[in-house]
Amino acid sequence: MRDQQSKFMRASHVLMLFFLVAALILSAIGAGLGDAFYIRLGTEALIFAGIGLSVDLLLGFTGVLSLGQALYFGIGAYASALVLLRVPSFWLALVVAGSASFVASIFGGLIANRVRGVYFTLISLGLAQVAAKIVYNTRELGASDGIIGVPVVQVDLGLLSVSSDDPLGFFLLVLAIVVALYTILSYVLETPFGRILIALKANERRVPFLGYSVWGARMAAYVLAGVVAGLLGALDPMLRGFVSPELMSFMTSGNAVVSVLLGGVGTLVGAIYGSVFLVLLKSVIGSWSEHHQIVVGSMFMMVVLVLPRGVIGVIHPWLRTLLSRLPPSLDRPGSPVREVES
Amino acid sequence: MGFADYIQFVLAPQIINGLALGTAVVLVALGLTIIFGLLDVINMSHGEFYAIGAFGAFGLSAAGLNFWISLALIPILMVPFAVVVERLLIRRVFDGDGRHVSTLLLTFGLSLVLEDLLKVVFGPNTHSVAAPVSGAIDVFGVTVPTYRLLLIGLGAALVSGIALLIYRTRFGAVVRAAAFDRHMSASLGVPVGLVYAATFALGVALAGIAGVLLAPLYSVFPTMGRDFILLAFSVVIVGGMGSILGAVIAGLALTQIQALASLVISPVWADPIVFGAMVLVLTFRPRGLFERLGHA
Amino acid sequence: MTGPILQIEKLGISFGGFKAVDDVSFEVERNCITTVIGPNGAGKSTLFNLISGALRPGSGRVLLDGIDVTGLSPRRMRASGLARSFQITNLFAELSVRENLRIAAQMLESKTNALLPVRWSRLAIGRADAMLDRFGLTSKANDLVGSLSHGEQRRLEIAICLVAGPKLLLLDEPTQGMSHGDTEETKEIIRSLAKEATVLLIEHDVALIMDISHHVIVLQQGRKLAAGEPAAIRANPAVQSAYFGRA
Repeated sequence: MRDQQSKFMRASHVLMLFFLVAALILSAIGAGLGDAFYIRLGTEALIFAGIGLSVDLLLGFTGVLSLGQALYFGIGAYASALVLLRVPSFWLALVVAGSASFVASIFGGLIANRVRGVYFTLISLGLAQVAAKIVYNTRELGASDGIIGVPVVQVDLGLLSVSSDDPLGFFLLVLAIVVALYTILSYVLETPFGRILIALKANERRVPFLGYSVWGARMAAYVLAGVVAGLLGALDPMLRGFVSPELMSFMTSGNAVVSVLLGGVGTLVGAIYGSVFLVLLKSVIGSWSEHHQIVVGSMFMMVVLVLPRGVIGVIHPWLRTLLSRLPPSLDRPGSPVREVES
Repeated sequence: MGFADYIQFVLAPQIINGLALGTAVVLVALGLTIIFGLLDVINMSHGEFYAIGAFGAFGLSAAGLNFWISLALIPILMVPFAVVVERLLIRRVFDGDGRHVSTLLLTFGLSLVLEDLLKVVFGPNTHSVAAPVSGAIDVFGVTVPTYRLLLIGLGAALVSGIALLIYRTRFGAVVRAAAFDRHMSASLGVPVGLVYAATFALGVALAGIAGVLLAPLYSVFPTMGRDFILLAFSVVIVGGMGSILGAVIAGLALTQIQALASLVISPVWADPIVFGAMVLVLTFRPRGLFERLGHA
Repeated sequence: MTGPILQIEKLGISFGGFKAVDDVSFEVERNCITTVIGPNGAGKSTLFNLISGALRPGSGRVLLDGIDVTGLSPRRMRASGLARSFQITNLFAELSVRENLRIAAQMLESKTNALLPVRWSRLAIGRADAMLDRFGLTSKANDLVGSLSHGEQRRLEIAICLVAGPKLLLLDEPTQGMSHGDTEETKEIIRSLAKEATVLLIEHDVALIMDISHHVIVLQQGRKLAAGEPAAIRANPAVQSAYFGRA
């Protein structure tokens, strides 16, 4: 029995599948041509997309704009770097990063979720800035230079092993992780809990009158978003060999929001497309000018003014209509509810 | 060091420094809060206008222009720019109830563009602006740099002027009416569009003036707006978004907290402390200390 | 279960010196329809806000089924069995009609189902579909609420309150803005509600009030002016002058 929201997300799943296939093909071609640069860039884009997913979960589905998700990304990155410098274990780094961002987002959430709307946004911004400043001034964490010299790590996946300095191998690993997180988040949004988040976005004021705790739901969403950001943050030092306070900053958060809006808010997959687009755009512009920010900023303003649903937002409805014309599944309202395969 | 000496040579100068910064912060926050209070617009690019003011001061002084003339000229030059921004950009996302988020995002995009433009025009380096007056004055035994005193005086006069404008003049009454009920005011013949453009320009000009005033005291660099915006928003939130009195009190209070705290702990903790103060205030008064303009 | 389902004792609230609700006491009998009426500004919606937990009373008590629920949050009031509709339609506009109902019915599902697929919430989905049928909204099940007519939206407001089987329904001007035909249909729906729950109603439509109410409570300027059977209230001179001024 498919409802409106499920049908909506179907289009996103199709786009995700398309992305996956395209990524596999392109990376295979790249590897065949001996390229490492673009594959690395793609890996960077995918890691950055983690912050985007985090932002979209909150903005597109819970209805709150957080300008500080990079904080948890950065915490995940630092935690991972610190672990890897002592114990070069991929899984340990991931677990520690996930735990660190879990704890941090609980604290952050307790502070930020006391307030709503614009106040929430500004506090989330403040949290990230303050934390970035503290890290910037803490010698044990490398101060303004950050932590460098993160070693290459072997990822033991049972049957095979991937090295973090193998461009194609690591790219595929990150791709798998991003797809997995997308799948998990999509699943969560298809549960009663996820539907409460969606209801919060639709009409937060009414939700308590339905018997649910707004604060509880938002905390859960916030923590989930933080952990997603933190897990992907853990991968960043593995790719680049260092971490710096800039990872936690307002600019990083801001860029994540830009990519979500460019891609399409509330589609989940838009965050991924948008991040890839943004990273590629910056790289392309960066090759002939330092001033990519003007382009990004202008594009962002255009999107807010003209295309609030983002680029995917243009394709999405078209895709939804297409999908709804497929042979009808057994979901006529009023028919007895049956256990239906989706 | 004896207690009296401590006051005279450490505490008082630090308080004066805090006051000088505080005055400028109040001006910036005042602009921000007026823009929110009337237009219901979250201006994330406000810091960039502050930076533009500072760079304007740098540019004009490098061209040989007198500082005081720059101080008068720059806000005037910023007005048409502000009106264009308001009409062309902000007006477009004004309607609909996602206004807070859309204006926030839109002005965020604008801030990215403006910041990079400053880098394009002036380069990424840090600059400094010479103070128009040097020397110090003895105030009750405390040596106060003359310029800081002037800054405080000018700022206080400006803030009082704005308060008078908003609360005692016909223009102010019109502004407050439009803040309270836009449609009603429009149907009463208030030229709401003009009022909006003028108010946005006023808010932005205040930020620019603050930029000029602070330029001789702190360095001028392209990302200075981004650094400043958090403090500005903290003041506005603590004071109450849309409250003039709140901007003044919170602006002075937070900068004093920052100044006094730096005496006992490392200045790097200044930001976290200000942020902590903001969170504390919001815990007990979620809407800030004072009521919104037009709604009190 | 015996005794009144709702007892209001000396309930009051002031807003900066203005007494919006002042020393109001009454009881609501089980499985009855009680209507609260009064001129504009009488404090009817404020009273509902006080009862449903949207506002904390300055004084007085609210007892639901004998239990003191004064000042409980809206969430806990709902959990206690009190559901409330809104005078200004307050639905989930960007969600489908069925989803609006399903999410209101979700509270009936066990908490352990919270992370299982929504498709498996058969109880909630079933209740939602039953409501769609009862309120004549089945053909609009997958439409977004925003596309419904005003009358359909007002009916959905009631349906959302009812779907999870509350003990007590507070309906705030349910027929507000409805056409005559819609009002008649809604009237019958409300009448049928009395079998399974108790209804406390705010209304202005005199014909409707007279037709379906078992009890009427009159508020004026925050105070209870009169209470009784509809016919008695209509004949009450104090009530008449409250509405029409001295004859």
